[in-house]
Amino acid sequence: SLSTLVNTDDVFSFGKYNPDSDIESLDELTEEPIDEQEVFEHPISLGALAVVSLPDILIEPSLPSIPDSPLRTVTVLITPTISHCSLATVIGLGVRVRLEQSLPSRFRVDVRIKEGTHSTADEVNKQLADKERVAAALENGTLMGVIGKMLETCK
Amino acid sequence: MEQIHKITLLSDLTPPSLERTWLSAPHPTLPLLATCSADKTVRVYSLTNFRLLSTISGGHKRSVRSAAWKPNTKENVLATGSFDATVGIWRNDEQEDEDEGDGQDRDPEEGWAFSVLLDGHDSEVKSVSWSSSGSLLATCSRDKSIWIWEDLEDGDNNFETVAVMQEHGGDVKCVSWHPVEECLASGSYDDTIRLWREDVDDWGQVACLRGHAGTVWCVDWEGEGGGSTTTTTIPAGGNSSQISAWKEKHARSARLVSCSDDRTVRIWRRQPKDHHQQYRPSDVPSIIRPTGLEEHWDEEAVLPTAHDLSIYTVAWSKASGRIASVGADGRIVVYEEQFTTSSDDPLQTTWTVIDSLPGAHGIYEINHVAWAKRADRGKQADEEVLITTADDGSVKVWLV
Repeated sequence: SLSTLVNTDDVFSFGKYNPDSDIESLDELTEEPIDEQEVFEHPISLGALAVVSLPDILIEPSLPSIPDSPLRTVTVLITPTISHCSLATVIGLGVRVRLEQSLPSRFRVDVRIKEGTHSTADEVNKQLADKERVAAALENGTLMGVIGKMLETCK
Repeated sequence: MEQIHKITLLSDLTPPSLERTWLSAPHPTLPLLATCSADKTVRVYSLTNFRLLSTISGGHKRSVRSAAWKPNTKENVLATGSFDATVGIWRNDEQEDEDEGDGQDRDPEEGWAFSVLLDGHDSEVKSVSWSSSGSLLATCSRDKSIWIWEDLEDGDNNFETVAVMQEHGGDVKCVSWHPVEECLASGSYDDTIRLWREDVDDWGQVACLRGHAGTVWCVDWEGEGGGSTTTTTIPAGGNSSQISAWKEKHARSARLVSCSDDRTVRIWRRQPKDHHQQYRPSDVPSIIRPTGLEEHWDEEAVLPTAHDLSIYTVAWSKASGRIASVGADGRIVVYEEQFTTSSDDPLQTTWTVIDSLPGAHGIYEINHVAWAKRADRGKQADEEVLITTADDGSVKVWLV
């Protein structure tokens, strides 16, 4: 089973923040080395786990009331492998970060859990939609390292 | 057909940050603006010529999220809140030129010195706000807490922690002091707005406002009479008896505006104490809070729907009484309050959208909006400008 690598309540940073030392937060992360290995040395890639499937990706105008607006919203629905998957938020964050880094600025990224596939979907969706939390996560080197590793097979 | 807009561009601030800029804080009295950027710096611009005066760097290790000028002081003191979990206090000993700070010959770092780092929050600091007297600084964070610090003003840069409030159930996104009273409002990821006051020696929650169906990104107070010293802004279209009744009602209450991820802007009114007590059952002894500091607040209005996506900032003009809002859809919306003619209650008002400008920063999200006194050469008496701040780092100054 997938153990808790990250507490869903505090997923966008690991424990007490210490801006002076990324080493300290690394220490906190490696306190549970087994989890990390379980997750990231999982033999099956995210792609093979069918976390995202093609019919669950939508591209729509962001502002339907303004027909000539160039803004488009890319919606990606994620299907966790099990309904209590504790990594749903990190996986979702990874998808959001990858899309934001690859798409032009006129795209708004909306990553959500597919309805009925996760026990705490609302909570996860709220975190993934929070621009400020996502921005702060991008500045967290440790978390970005975890996400980079997770997306290694998704080139 | 091209729509004619009431909101028109006056100028961009140059040169801008090239990274996401979160907020722009106008100085309370001088024509200065401080902007907070993801590049970890604060830029100070002149509102006289819209050019960069100083870049303050080296204090924060991550994005600067928020900034506020200390009011009621002769020095220039700026508080900043950062994703690095700290709050910085900066001082500028040299007086900026009020009228013709052309910024040309200035060393960009000149004058600004970092005086103290307030350490206490466990994670990103989201917002900072000074009380009107300038003696109290409120800060809030993703750690769900609000801290109140007292500037001891002992010449030694000492700040004392006065209170730590942890009632919010999620990130505290914003804090804002009442324009006169020592009453603090906060908005949160837990979808609530809370109000805080000091009771003898303890700071505590005096109200919790529910109504928003998503994160409350920002709250702002209406300009407040608070006695006879300042004038209350009056809705448009009133006759003399409506205006005097309005002033009387306002002297005994207060209003707050809030905006949310739920795409609504709401107005809340504090009910006068005596009115509230009439409805309190007298046979129930109040054990929990014997001094009865609790306040009764009502949702007074939901402004007309004007945004398609999250609304990040709402700003209530202390001069005109107009409200402006901005958000992820890239619009600037300005609302105005008017007396309703067709109501039994002579003090009934309605809010209308006087302009909605889409794509104000092109394809970029607008993170912040603020009202400021116009200070460039074209100014007319008491004219105001709107200042908007966007994801691409651009900061624009608008006339309405």
